Amino acid sequence: MKPRVLVAQMSFVLLLIGAWEFGDRVGAFDRTMLPPPSEVAGALRTLLQSSEFLADASNTIVRVMAAFAIGAPIALAIGFMMGENIDLGRSLSPVFNLVLSVPQSIFLPIFVLLFGLGFTEKLIFGITHVFFVVAVNAMAAARGVPHGQIELARSFGANKLRIYRSIYLPAMAPQIVTGLRLGLIFDIIGILLAEMYASRDGLGVLLLRWGESYDVDKLMAATVLISLATILINEIMRILESRVGRWQQAAEPR
Amino acid sequence: MTSARPLVIEARRLEKVYGVGRAPIVALQDISFVVQEGSFVCLVGPSGCGKSTLLQILAGLVPSTSGEILIEGAVMRKPAPDKISVMFQDATLLPWKRVIENIEFPLEIRGRKAAERRERAAAMLSLVGLAEFGERYPHELSGGMRQRVSIARALAPDPRILLMDEPFGALDEQTRIKMGHELLRIWSQTGKTIFFITHSLTEALFLSDVVLVMSHRPGRIVGVIDSGLPRPRTYDIIGSAEFGAARNRIWQLISLDDDEVAGEGMVSL
Amino acid sequence: MTLRRAVVIIVILGCWEAARRFNLVGPLLLASPSEIVLALIGSWSDYLGALRFTVSEIALAVVIAWMFGIGTGVLAGMIPFFGATAGPLLSSLFAIPLITWYPLFMVWFGIGIKSKIAYAVVSGFFPIAINTMIGVRGLDPRYMLFGRAIGCSRPQMVLRILIPMAMPTIVSGLRIGTALIVIGVIVAEMLASLGGLGYLISYYRSIYETAHVYLGILLALGCALVANWCLSRIERRVTRWRELQIAER
Repeated sequence: MKPRVLVAQMSFVLLLIGAWEFGDRVGAFDRTMLPPPSEVAGALRTLLQSSEFLADASNTIVRVMAAFAIGAPIALAIGFMMGENIDLGRSLSPVFNLVLSVPQSIFLPIFVLLFGLGFTEKLIFGITHVFFVVAVNAMAAARGVPHGQIELARSFGANKLRIYRSIYLPAMAPQIVTGLRLGLIFDIIGILLAEMYASRDGLGVLLLRWGESYDVDKLMAATVLISLATILINEIMRILESRVGRWQQAAEPR
Repeated sequence: MTSARPLVIEARRLEKVYGVGRAPIVALQDISFVVQEGSFVCLVGPSGCGKSTLLQILAGLVPSTSGEILIEGAVMRKPAPDKISVMFQDATLLPWKRVIENIEFPLEIRGRKAAERRERAAAMLSLVGLAEFGERYPHELSGGMRQRVSIARALAPDPRILLMDEPFGALDEQTRIKMGHELLRIWSQTGKTIFFITHSLTEALFLSDVVLVMSHRPGRIVGVIDSGLPRPRTYDIIGSAEFGAARNRIWQLISLDDDEVAGEGMVSL
Repeated sequence: MTLRRAVVIIVILGCWEAARRFNLVGPLLLASPSEIVLALIGSWSDYLGALRFTVSEIALAVVIAWMFGIGTGVLAGMIPFFGATAGPLLSSLFAIPLITWYPLFMVWFGIGIKSKIAYAVVSGFFPIAINTMIGVRGLDPRYMLFGRAIGCSRPQMVLRILIPMAMPTIVSGLRIGTALIVIGVIVAEMLASLGGLGYLISYYRSIYETAHVYLGILLALGCALVANWCLSRIERRVTRWRELQIAER
């Protein structure tokens, strides 16, 4: 990225924060509605030292990770099978695409109805968020494997393991990582929503509670923290995607 | 042979330099020429010599670094769509509009009324011989037909001057020859002034009264050849002795200038 | 709608109804189609009012999000520096779970319409702006040259050439954004609201009226599907030339 652009982005963000702080100091903004960055930073520091907050945060993180750890491998397996087996793919993929065309958040009340308010309900909700997008991407990845190369490798006597490692993996990796990235993002969205809607603990509940009690500095601190964390996760996975994309280019037939 | 007709285009000592500071690229150097009203002038030169740049300056799309252009006696600084129409190698027809709507488009931009536009566009469509294709979409037409629509569109605002940047470059040879005939017919029927860029010496001589020969970069006018060939013309004129002589003269002008290996800039015979 | 499809749907509905009739699945978990229909007939005026409420929020959010989204996208696509700066920012921000900002919007805008519209507009804004920017950026510069050559003013360039050419990409952004807006409004209503479809769904869920919950969600899906259908009609009209062009090659 050109340094000029980076400088422009940084200065834009800094300018925004500066104007925000200034606006509060000068009284242009209502302090109770929009506390200045300095206060928000202070609240953030307090939160990060508070054991209750950390407990809630870890609950959320555990749910997200658990849903991902369960949903992703199953989705990868099924997606791969759908890609390799044309009939399976043809029958299942319309259903999967239909599900993906509507944000799954809308089904939350049914989940609560079916599974109650506990850990299970949130976990399953998270899993469905991860599952479909990862599976669809895995299927696309499997379909995109250059079959000509596979025939060639077989004719040279390469065994299955070799073929999977040297042809399937590099060809599929970028798309799979894209699916995983999106799956993780959807997972986070799903878990936080479920917590906000029906939960006793977790970051989502805190946000809603602080919103209702007008605890604005804590609310802002937590919201900004979550936003930054998700952006970071997204960017890290994007970098992974491009790294893996380079594998693919390297493995392409000369 | 040319009588004293008014000058519609005058280029005076045009220069175009790109890249201030480090390593400036001189695209055009000291370009001066005149074009009489109603004449068909071709500009030939190797690719990369700045022909397109010159055309864009003539069209007012790009400013020159120094020197000036006079169109009908007035200095040219920005596009003058009432006086000049431009055609490029790519027809750039708007794909979501029908053929007839494409021809109307410049008139629409100028705010002409719908009935007037339609009438004018239909007339132009007939002129280029595509009267039955008005309701089609550009992607349904062949390359040659699209260029004919492009000509119709260029003629719709009734400009005095047509600037054309290798409009037949993307067409196969037979279509090129046919289009050449078409263009000459349209030219004789409408009496416009045409400034036509090409890298084909044959095409240049076949179509024009006057050929401006341009060198490779930095582009200079190294010769002005008045072909002296009679009109009306058909393609078999390229077999005549005068044609061959004129073509050789042009070729010599270009070769003389060619001190570097002609790796880039190839001129086709 | 082939015969086969219709038969499949009827069979599914039949099994669904049977599952409840023969008590294979409990009343809390599943509501049969007949129960859902009864629920609708029973409270149809409530639902009509709620739909009117929700749809008006959606409509307003759509208008605002489309305007801001397309406007920003066009600017980002046309002005290289702005695009290079704003583009990555937009893409990064798109990853944020916007629902986490809803409590903040509640604080700022109250529990009524404004907070939902704000939330929905922000949800829809990103995909629209990003797609519009990509569509405008990918434009063949020869068309811009052509526009200038025939004397287009800036607004004419944008409205008559730029946006129509970029339409296919813009519309796909509109589809994603509008889906997010529709669901965003309803989900926000589910969390905290004075009325609307989401509010009804949450209310009925809290008193374990299963049939109503299913009904509400079906209606919500219906809204999303209607919006999607409208947009795909628009998309088809607008991109007909593109598909034919590709089919040509």
